[in-house]
Amino acid sequence: MARIIVVTSGKGGVGKTTSSAAIGLGLALKGHKVVLIDFDIGLRNLDLIMGCERRVVYDFVNVINGEATLNQALIKDKRVSSLSILPASQTRDKDALNKENVGKVLEELGKSYDFIVCDSPAGIEAGAMMALYYADEAIVTTNPEVSSVRDSDRILGMLASRSRRAELGLDPIKEHLLLTRYSPKRVEEGEMLSVEDVEDILSIPLLGVIPESQAVLKASNAGEPVILDTESDAGKAYQDVIERLLGETVEFRFLVAEKKGIFSRMFGG
Amino acid sequence: MADASIEFKGTSFTLSVLHLKTPKLADIRADLVKKVAQAPDFFYLVPVVVNIEQLDCSLDYQAVKSLVEEFNFTFVGFTGSVDKEQRKLIRELGFSFVNTTRVDTSKKAAIAEEALTTETKATAAIPERNLYTDKVHRGQIRSGQQIYAKDQNLVVIGSVSAGAEVIADGNIHVYGSLRGRAIAGAKGHHKAQIYCQNLEAELVSINGNYWLSESMEQHWGSPVYIHLTDSELTSSKLI
Repeated sequence: MARIIVVTSGKGGVGKTTSSAAIGLGLALKGHKVVLIDFDIGLRNLDLIMGCERRVVYDFVNVINGEATLNQALIKDKRVSSLSILPASQTRDKDALNKENVGKVLEELGKSYDFIVCDSPAGIEAGAMMALYYADEAIVTTNPEVSSVRDSDRILGMLASRSRRAELGLDPIKEHLLLTRYSPKRVEEGEMLSVEDVEDILSIPLLGVIPESQAVLKASNAGEPVILDTESDAGKAYQDVIERLLGETVEFRFLVAEKKGIFSRMFGG
Repeated sequence: MADASIEFKGTSFTLSVLHLKTPKLADIRADLVKKVAQAPDFFYLVPVVVNIEQLDCSLDYQAVKSLVEEFNFTFVGFTGSVDKEQRKLIRELGFSFVNTTRVDTSKKAAIAEEALTTETKATAAIPERNLYTDKVHRGQIRSGQQIYAKDQNLVVIGSVSAGAEVIADGNIHVYGSLRGRAIAGAKGHHKAQIYCQNLEAELVSINGNYWLSESMEQHWGSPVYIHLTDSELTSSKLI
């Protein structure tokens, strides 16, 4: 049975697609068969972050409507052969998906993949509900600021009440907290909520803390998920996330501001 | 299945129970006449269950049913802790046997008496009695969720997030942080109280009197209970 993981948040722009790409690729690098699905119909982004935008022929909506087979629509990643991407449609809207057909597609994918990572659109409307409906696990992506935390809380309520697991009375969706764009320096200065603050409000287990990093923007523009940038803090933090998803216990890093050495302080480095 | 024309569901009702202390029909009739005369309208078509637990000899079940119906009660069935044989017999005669939760036998008559007298006095008192039961919610109540404990107290084992709302006709207990809104005594109940382990609420209200968070500064972030004294909200530290 494939693990269906939804990357969700409620709020937009917190790093869902960046995280989906990094996590999908990271799991594939570990030798697992992974498919990444872009549920953000109408705002196709995942293919850009993955660097496969020029290879999109058919998309998720074509498969749902029976206009293309899954194999025609799936794009194999050029870096890791065990990773495929199912892109969103740029021309349709979110209502193009329906529960029954999405279920069929996921069931079909579940036969040949170990992980199905669903990149959810922002909001709490039909598109986001569709992305989370069939999930076994949810990675709730949150920025350390109050409105993002509030929206994540709202999505957690949805996960507990509107998912397939909730409707059928099965075990609840396993929830993970992923804090992104974390800046320990700004936390120390009291400008940003701390990990502890967010954990206290949301009270779900922490999966990872991704530090605010220039590497993320660079990676997005280059179509190379940031997890491939093994030198960057963000890349390392995503690698820790992968280990934790696979059941390892890894200590959290990048939670405290780096102390500047005497030389960099003297020369303003 | 959603289109089915009928649906079976279980619901609890308050039913009047007639406890028989004698199998003698004449005595039962005489006492029923007295009782019903006190409030004939109240008893008209009231569903009644007959408790036969205190009888240690056999009873003419059919005659009891006819007698009860003669006084314009709606006969539901028999109840009481009796042996299997007797239960089987009652069913074979075509009557329902209604199971109840157990109550101490010695107190039984007193309870029945009390129930009958309070009901005749004021039917409005019924919801008040239900306030002694609790609706228990395990887990956090998230932003956008709303929980209502109708005619009950509400117990939340977890926190109430900002943007969530908990409402009870009775008291509210939050074993966690209260960050959302809490409305106790919603139907009007000036003795309702709100308890929480950490007060960071957006709004608390008891019997229509409310505080916004700015009024809670005194005990902000503390374990607190909130109650009314002379229609004024008051907060007191729990520990």
